[in-house]
Amino acid sequence: MSDLVSIKGGKDGLRLQLDEAADWPSLLAALRTQFEQGGSFFAGARLVVDIGSRPMSEQQLAEILALMQQHGLQPEALAADARASRIAARAVGLTARPAPQRIPPPSTVPAGESDAMLVARTVRSGQVVRHQGHVTLIGDVNPGSEIIAGGNVVVWGRLRGLVHAGALGNRSALICALELRPTQLRIADLIARTPEGAAGQIPEVARVEDEHIIVEAWEVYRK
Amino acid sequence: MARVITITSGKGGVGKTTTTANLGTALAMQGARVAVIDADIGLRNLDVVLGLENRIVYDLIDVVEGRARMRQALIKDKRLPELCLLPAAQTRDKEAIGPEDMVALTNQMRPEFDYVLIDCPAGIEGGFRNAIAGADEVLIVTTPEVSAVRDADRIVGLVEAAEKGPPRLIINRLNTRLVSRGEMLSMEEVVEILAIDPVGVVPDDESIVISTNRGEVAVFDQNSLAGRAFINIARRVAGEDVPLLGVTDQQGMLDRLFGLFGRKSR
Repeated sequence: MSDLVSIKGGKDGLRLQLDEAADWPSLLAALRTQFEQGGSFFAGARLVVDIGSRPMSEQQLAEILALMQQHGLQPEALAADARASRIAARAVGLTARPAPQRIPPPSTVPAGESDAMLVARTVRSGQVVRHQGHVTLIGDVNPGSEIIAGGNVVVWGRLRGLVHAGALGNRSALICALELRPTQLRIADLIARTPEGAAGQIPEVARVEDEHIIVEAWEVYRK
Repeated sequence: MARVITITSGKGGVGKTTTTANLGTALAMQGARVAVIDADIGLRNLDVVLGLENRIVYDLIDVVEGRARMRQALIKDKRLPELCLLPAAQTRDKEAIGPEDMVALTNQMRPEFDYVLIDCPAGIEGGFRNAIAGADEVLIVTTPEVSAVRDADRIVGLVEAAEKGPPRLIINRLNTRLVSRGEMLSMEEVVEILAIDPVGVVPDDESIVISTNRGEVAVFDQNSLAGRAFINIARRVAGEDVPLLGVTDQQGMLDRLFGLFGRKSR
């Protein structure tokens, strides 16, 4: 993940933080790379674009919005310190708000998948859990729901929905569940359906081996 | 003060209107003052099921838009004076009112009744949001079919998101013969997926089709199995402790379906 661009999950959804000082062409290039690597992680997501203290012209804003649209992303709002940027955002019909204070991340922890999210409820049809790090779920994931994570997905319950681990391109991501019977499994850019007849009554682990997603019993995997 | 209960399902055709009519009638038979509201604006049905179609003068929209007073629009049931219907408008659509109108409407009715039941339209759009806006409680009707259960699950999520408290479940048209053969989801399997409390199971009963078409509700028929099930649901809604009988099947349809394809790693 580039240093110039970072994606964080917050209480208002996904937040796209752009470096405040870098020059515009390299920032735009970093953003393009980020979206391309992210693939389906971003499809349909709503993003708050946080530019902090960076001044932004209407032209630059339009470039970002075009790039987002190209990757199926919807702008939720623009967060900016500068009033001029907020006015530019409102001119194109965006919600604008002041940017929150930036807290420098602890330097020892690599950005991205290092953080995990705990969800303790039933994820139901139509609901989406999306997080850039690992997702741990205590409860059932019902058919028609989606779990999309940049890292691993661990479900302490029945996994019957769609699950995408390593959605930012990490093929070493794992999917574990007490009962692994998803409608579809995705790890990074690979897709698999649960084979019909898979009993899924024992804890299982899905991972990538030789370009394929394989599923094996937890008892086998741990050895 | 009335308890306002919305009956919803997500999927159409699973028996929301039949449930509303029978539950409302059963509660009124117990002596409660009951109003049933048809919130399916543009596709009204509840009046037909209750056999009150030919008495409609004013409807819900007339009340909301001030053309009629609540008292003028409410229609008394043919047999039970404690039961009233507020019919939907047939010539308008769901966008004619908003959630705040439904909240105002139900609040206006609260002092006059013990129960206000709202028959929700199918779907998850505006009509659904209107129907749950004024509700204190939500009952979700499903049939033991995979598609209906999927939609019910979606609705449970939306009801929880609307902070209406945990909804309760009515399983309609359960065919005990199919369940015991492992060819229909059992009550236990449906409850396991949806993870909400069941308030009743209504057996598949063709007599209910006949009574519905005649505009007579099943709960008046002593011999109707479905009618008796609705009376039990009404008693549970009223707070009575009536045991719930499920039909258990040794293997279960889900396992059976998946088992058909071989591998059973246990």
